[in-house]
Amino acid sequence: MRLNDWQLAFETYLLGEQTAADTALGASLMGGPTLDVSTGLAIYHNAYQARLQEVLRGDYPVIWHWLGDDEFEQLAAAYIRQCPSVHYSLRWLGEGFESFIRQHLVPEQSAALGELAALEWAFTLAFDAPEGAPLTIQDMAALKPEDWPTLRVSPSPSVQWLECAFNSVALWRAVKDETGFPGSAALGAPQVLVIWRAGLVCHYRSLEPAEAAALNGLFQGDWDFAELCSELAVICGEDAPLQAVTWLKQWVQDGWLQPRIIESSY
Amino acid sequence: MSASLSCLGYGLGLRSAYYQQILEQSPAVDWFEVVSENFMVQGGKALYYLDAIAERYPVVMHGVSLSIGGPHALDPQYLQQLKLLAERVEPAWISDHLCWSRGNAHQLHDLLPLPYTEESLYYVAGRVRQVQDVLQRPLVLENVSSYVRSAGDEFSEWEFLDALSRLSDCELLLDINNVYVSSRNHGFDPWTFIQGLPAKKVRQLHLAGHSDHGDYVIDTHDQPVSDPVWALYQQTLEHLGPVATLLERDDHFPPFEELLTELQKARALGDSVLTRRLRCA
Repeated sequence: MRLNDWQLAFETYLLGEQTAADTALGASLMGGPTLDVSTGLAIYHNAYQARLQEVLRGDYPVIWHWLGDDEFEQLAAAYIRQCPSVHYSLRWLGEGFESFIRQHLVPEQSAALGELAALEWAFTLAFDAPEGAPLTIQDMAALKPEDWPTLRVSPSPSVQWLECAFNSVALWRAVKDETGFPGSAALGAPQVLVIWRAGLVCHYRSLEPAEAAALNGLFQGDWDFAELCSELAVICGEDAPLQAVTWLKQWVQDGWLQPRIIESSY
Repeated sequence: MSASLSCLGYGLGLRSAYYQQILEQSPAVDWFEVVSENFMVQGGKALYYLDAIAERYPVVMHGVSLSIGGPHALDPQYLQQLKLLAERVEPAWISDHLCWSRGNAHQLHDLLPLPYTEESLYYVAGRVRQVQDVLQRPLVLENVSSYVRSAGDEFSEWEFLDALSRLSDCELLLDINNVYVSSRNHGFDPWTFIQGLPAKKVRQLHLAGHSDHGDYVIDTHDQPVSDPVWALYQQTLEHLGPVATLLERDDHFPPFEELLTELQKARALGDSVLTRRLRCA
């Protein structure tokens, strides 16, 4: 067999479900004095599955805890079969797990599990995101009065934004704290969760609807500071600028904001 | 003796379980080997500790995803990331494995053995030269453990490594444990393997543990170095002279002090061999 054909046969074997190899691949190989070809091949087959399963357990410990060993292994094996790794780093193996869960399971099962997968993956994204150059309180203090109204910001690289319809945070917290697993439940109203990294440590915070709407306006609605104040005036009246500054200070202290780069028009 | 290659001394594989302890205690380790892919990220803990440790210790980069013998084109994005990381940590050298880890369509994340044929030899040698052109330095390639071998082999593994290093000017990372594991699995003499390598091309040695299943041995890196591997290591040092030695542990991480004690054993063996060689000189 030519090198390329042999490698294709080996790859097909590793990605397949059976530990028994086809005849052509088996015939192209030799065992040793006490290690036959089928056992040798099975070592590779098992190692492939075990290595990828271990990575997914590491990235999705709460889903693993929720489903238990057997059910998680089945789900992960189905994912690995449908979405074999395409990135050289195992860091990215689990990138499609949420979307696989939403497609693979019926909606009654997938809604909460998919949300939890999104939450767990968001922590991994925050964990090794670039540092960026978040705005500091000193930057804000140095801002000229005439520049405040047109101040625009974007999220710092580690900031992850999730809209939760289930108690995914409580599930995550329970596994992290090794306390009783509460079981999945829908929230009375959806809640926005922000996950970010400060220094080397990841954090999360749930936002009240008004704060979430204000922050979303800055990130997605292209609001500047003046628009933020005018939008807040609807709910806060003349206290709108004070509320805007209070939130802005908190977001800056948390390192969520970085200046938005405006493309030059000339 | 590997006269033309400098010896870094005795090093440990850098693993996240020990990051903080290394910074706090500045242990007596001559150098650290880092798994390149673990640091091909954009920020966070891994890069923070890498920068801090690279300020204090010499570092060597050891990759697992180059797939030098794979059926695909070499990945320019991977090579670019490797080069950027090298610019960041200024490693003493860069190594990977003589294997393939990516298939036609997918990443296989394993160090798969190649058929040792003329076709493979010229294919791999050409790719080694491509990588060396990008990195602007010799690539160091490690022998892997294996559990099957090609029935069409035209060379032994050591003959292949020897020929490859001559054809491509690559250097070698001799993993003593891998030689032992493969020798048990395939029934060859490990000393014949080691003697068959070009001594002047051996840049580095690896030591690690394996799990012995009686009929076969698996390279697990999850326990201390075994007695037969220590004996082979001593014999290798007597044959090669001082060579940079790296102790690997990738699972069942013991207290850091245990790894230091194991590394000290390698150092003591190396010192005694060197003393004997000086007396005989």
